[in-house]
Amino acid sequence: MRQVLPAAAVRVMAEWAKQLAGIKGVLLDISGVLYDSGEGGGVPIPGSREAVEKIKASGLKLQFCTNETEATRAKFVEKLQRLGFNISVNEVTAPAPAVCRILKERNLRPHLLVHDGLVPEFDELDKANPNCVVIGDAADNFSYKNLNEAFRVLIGMENPILLSLGRGRYYKETDGLKLDVGAYMKALEYACDIQAEVVGKPAKAFFQSALAEMGVEPHQAIMIGDDIVNDVGGAQQCGLRGLQVRTGKYRPCDEQHSHVKADGYVNNLAEAVDIIVKQLHK
Amino acid sequence: MAARRVLKAVLVDLSGTLHIEDSAVPGSQEALKRLRNAPLAIRFVTNTTKESKRDLLERLKKLEFDIAEDEIFTSLTAARNLLEQRQVRPLLLVDDNALHDFKGIPTNDPNAVVIGLAPEHFNYQMMNKAFRLILHGAPLIAIHKGRYYKKKDGLALGPGPFVTGLEYATDTKAIVVGKPETAFFLEALRGIDCKPEETIMIGDDCRDDVAGAQKAGMLGILVKTGKYRAVDEAKINPAPYLTCESFPQAVDHILQHLL
Repeated sequence: MRQVLPAAAVRVMAEWAKQLAGIKGVLLDISGVLYDSGEGGGVPIPGSREAVEKIKASGLKLQFCTNETEATRAKFVEKLQRLGFNISVNEVTAPAPAVCRILKERNLRPHLLVHDGLVPEFDELDKANPNCVVIGDAADNFSYKNLNEAFRVLIGMENPILLSLGRGRYYKETDGLKLDVGAYMKALEYACDIQAEVVGKPAKAFFQSALAEMGVEPHQAIMIGDDIVNDVGGAQQCGLRGLQVRTGKYRPCDEQHSHVKADGYVNNLAEAVDIIVKQLHK
Repeated sequence: MAARRVLKAVLVDLSGTLHIEDSAVPGSQEALKRLRNAPLAIRFVTNTTKESKRDLLERLKKLEFDIAEDEIFTSLTAARNLLEQRQVRPLLLVDDNALHDFKGIPTNDPNAVVIGLAPEHFNYQMMNKAFRLILHGAPLIAIHKGRYYKKKDGLALGPGPFVTGLEYATDTKAIVVGKPETAFFLEALRGIDCKPEETIMIGDDCRDDVAGAQKAGMLGILVKTGKYRAVDEAKINPAPYLTCESFPQAVDHILQHLL
């Protein structure tokens, strides 16, 4: 591990750290920030368990904000607890519970194209005679047959409604890069000549619901994530500050991204939290 | 004005123009014979993703059309030509029947991706394989970008949605080789000594046949057979040079007015 930071990095850190007055809440992305997913549930990123404890002890409000859709929120939180994180279900804002709320509000009966592990999240909803499609990262369930079924539901509707749990392009697993929900959302958009509604990061409403859980205004919150577009860019669009960690799917070219500039770049969550907490106590 | 051009070549679409599945459009075999008596080069151009040239030829022969293999130019041929020009080795996501048109092209250690209509290949694993190749710089070549097509049991996704998904994931643009691309029409004229302005295209698809050909500088005749739907001709700007009932009427017009 790198111990000594180059002077330039320290100077940049100092810049964003100077602007922290008034911060009351922290939003944390999970995958790639707290832990790296993979075989056997994944591995915590060094220092991140302690960093979560440190935020909670500091008096700052904390909410986790994830686009995770491989399992139900309850199962996902259980896994994180097993990895040693101090986290509970109501601290996690995730796309599936958010989309369930929307479906209920709008009397929508979903046709699901999602991961098998996510299906129980929709147990309470009426799914007969569907009048919308919900698409999530379905991995191996993204077969031609399943995609075609979703397409036929949409093309048979007068005003097709497609709800997409996130719009990521790809993600990294231990055996390489894999297509994320965004690619398949785009496929259905093109096939039906429609626009999907995104539930999850980078949608504004999603960040707003996470902020509401904390009772904190956008300008009082800071988002920490590894995805320059969906975490950092999405948060900034919503009026929050956004930090990018150099863990998870981070690539050095992210720091020269064509249209998103993070408020700051940090090596990992532990470093970010150290700086934030230190500034608060000044 | 248009009638005063010197006409040297005629491009003819196949499915929907000369035949619909296994039946010929009435009178079109005889009309083709009349067209052949005129001093014109003739090429048959089609967006096919499933059938090789050999399959197409077999069907046309059964329907008693007088057509030679080297007169047929398909989107698969166009894809093959592009692979040869660029000297790349493709991952071929095409129907097994179409593989015949790629015979002799090396496919080991692929550094290009070709997408046709291949539902059996459009699974998550294969899509990821294509995705990783493209991310590493392999060109994405689409036989065409059709959104969907009609099957006996209903509508089914075409290659377009899968091409679009890969374009989004990799932040690249596919090279589309079939109609209505200008390159396709120009490529079809290779080997014939004539310019787009000296060529007329006859087809049943307003966008892919007529608008595509006219954009390439040719004249376009829309026939009201095959996939034609009422007022299709109003959907493109500029309008078709001519809209007529079927292929035989299109031939009559050419013989009477364009020579």
